[in-house]
Amino acid sequence: MSDIALAAEHVEKTFGEGETQVRAVRGVDLEVPSGEVVLIMGPSGSGKTTLLSMLGAMLRPTSGRVMAAGSDITALPESKLPRFRAGTFGFVFQDFNLLGALSARENVEFALNLAGVTGKPARRRAEELLDGFGLTDRLDFKPHKLSGGEKQRIALARALANRPPVILADEPTANLDSKIGHEIARLLRTTATEEKRAVVIVSHDNRLKEVADRILWLEDGAFRALEGMATDPVCGMSVDRLDTPHYQVDGITHYFCSTGCRDEFAANPAHGRPTAGAVPGES
Amino acid sequence: MIPVARRMLFANRRRALLGVLGVAVALVMALALDAIFAGATRQVSRYIDSSPADVIVSEEGVRTIHMSMSVLALSVVETVADLPGVAWAEPILFTSDSVESTSGSRRLSYVFGYQPQGRGGPMKLMAGAAPRRGELVLDESAATALQVTLGDEVSTLGQSWRVSGLTTGMTSIVNTTTYVQYDDLAEVLGRQGTASYVLVGSEGDPDRVAEEIARVTGLTAQTRAQFSAEERAIVQEMSTDLMLIMSVAAFVVALAVIGLTLYASVLSRLRDIGVMKALGSSGARITRLVLVQAAWTTFIALVLAVALSYLIGAIIAALAPDIDLVVAAQSVVRIGVTAVVISLVGAIAPLFRVWRVDPASVFRRAS
Repeated sequence: MSDIALAAEHVEKTFGEGETQVRAVRGVDLEVPSGEVVLIMGPSGSGKTTLLSMLGAMLRPTSGRVMAAGSDITALPESKLPRFRAGTFGFVFQDFNLLGALSARENVEFALNLAGVTGKPARRRAEELLDGFGLTDRLDFKPHKLSGGEKQRIALARALANRPPVILADEPTANLDSKIGHEIARLLRTTATEEKRAVVIVSHDNRLKEVADRILWLEDGAFRALEGMATDPVCGMSVDRLDTPHYQVDGITHYFCSTGCRDEFAANPAHGRPTAGAVPGES
Repeated sequence: MIPVARRMLFANRRRALLGVLGVAVALVMALALDAIFAGATRQVSRYIDSSPADVIVSEEGVRTIHMSMSVLALSVVETVADLPGVAWAEPILFTSDSVESTSGSRRLSYVFGYQPQGRGGPMKLMAGAAPRRGELVLDESAATALQVTLGDEVSTLGQSWRVSGLTTGMTSIVNTTTYVQYDDLAEVLGRQGTASYVLVGSEGDPDRVAEEIARVTGLTAQTRAQFSAEERAIVQEMSTDLMLIMSVAAFVVALAVIGLTLYASVLSRLRDIGVMKALGSSGARITRLVLVQAAWTTFIALVLAVALSYLIGAIIAALAPDIDLVVAAQSVVRIGVTAVVISLVGAIAPLFRVWRVDPASVFRRAS
């Protein structure tokens, strides 16, 4: 399909050998067309980061293929991957990962430099993006003088600088308060819709479900059906109904990520959040 | 292009400054060593360099005053004086001893015996008069160190002498130079009828005059420039091992400092380097980043070291005139080249570290 910006075919990743071998990602298939926002959720250690690293050409799969912008990343020589990353992917990280020695504008310009855009054109493009994100008066500020929301908007501007067909976001709202988190989520949605980028978000944050076209659940390195998922009423995490701690109150069964959350809920059920996936009468 | 390397290096100004200062101190060590050596070398040949003689005649095979013994028959003076192209010829006697004041202060000294009103004496008298029999001329720095002045008594070569005059510029950290009458020195040494060297003034090309003297007398005759070069060469030969050891020590210190500075800078920026790789920085770009940081550190350190060397030289010249420091251009160039090598070698360990940074490490949470 011509509008598929990012695709993974039977991607596997295994670390170590023999008894210490770990299969971090098991036969993942994924297609993300331009303009779509895909949210990948899952518990810690489920392989989300490993999958994201492979999708972003930072880690080679043990087997399978990753296609981005029409190229087979897995077939590209190591020497060509950096330039390919610079032109094909925009990255947004939980910790923002701005270069502390550079100003807001320079952080964006740096990404442009990596794709071969330098001098005034780079400067103009950086200013244009930062203006668009309401950071006109923060151009020359170093990251340590900016708020979390401002840093993430700069990171988003940097991710968009080279007009990449794919945006990969790792927990983009985790270090942000609710209001700013929503704003970043909205910006990611707008980016996908208006600029026709494929956006893949890895997150635990349920707020991002609102902007996602598709939600995928990754557990033990493989995608699982979402029909079997519920939301932990204490921490808000999505959990599989199978083999997880649960607790029934007023005829409704609630599911938890851990016994800690279950016990906390059991001590005071009124403090639980409104939940999705709680099942009336189930025991 | 954003100057990322420079920005990263100077983002932590204190660390960058410490690194630059560390390298600068090591380079100053090397420069100062060169300057002291150049000064000492210059001092060794100062008698010859300031002499009005165009050619110096010595015993066959003897090419220096320093570490040599030359004995010539006094008749050689007349033979040489009669040769074509020779304007004048005068004998000098040379020995070395210590000069001691009545208070017991002592200074090693070259002692030259020259003829009254002759050309082998002090180039400039700052005070007093040329020596008569039983008198000597001291360098003013040595006189200050010995706490003597005009008219005071000092002893050398086993007898007492009266200080008749003071000259200048003939004292180094090692020794001083003293002038007495030729006849006095001949008598003390028991070398009447001999000369150590013959100073010759030429009317034509000194090289040809020197060749002619050597051909006719069978003695060694060198122009002033040749003799001076021989004097410096013998000092350099004697000091080569020491200089090598000191230079290697300075090199190692500079290398360690720049290596550690760069390594510390790199370690504190590993996450940034991971981010740069993730965003698309190639291995070559990351290599350039480290090398540019090394170059900046070394360049600033070198400029600082040269400036400090001149400053230290000026201060020492004011406080201790006996110490002759010469910061030569060739020394600066040599240290500069060494500094470049140091920066390249010092960057090796940091480079290995940054090459190993995994771009996927950016997905790990910052601690």
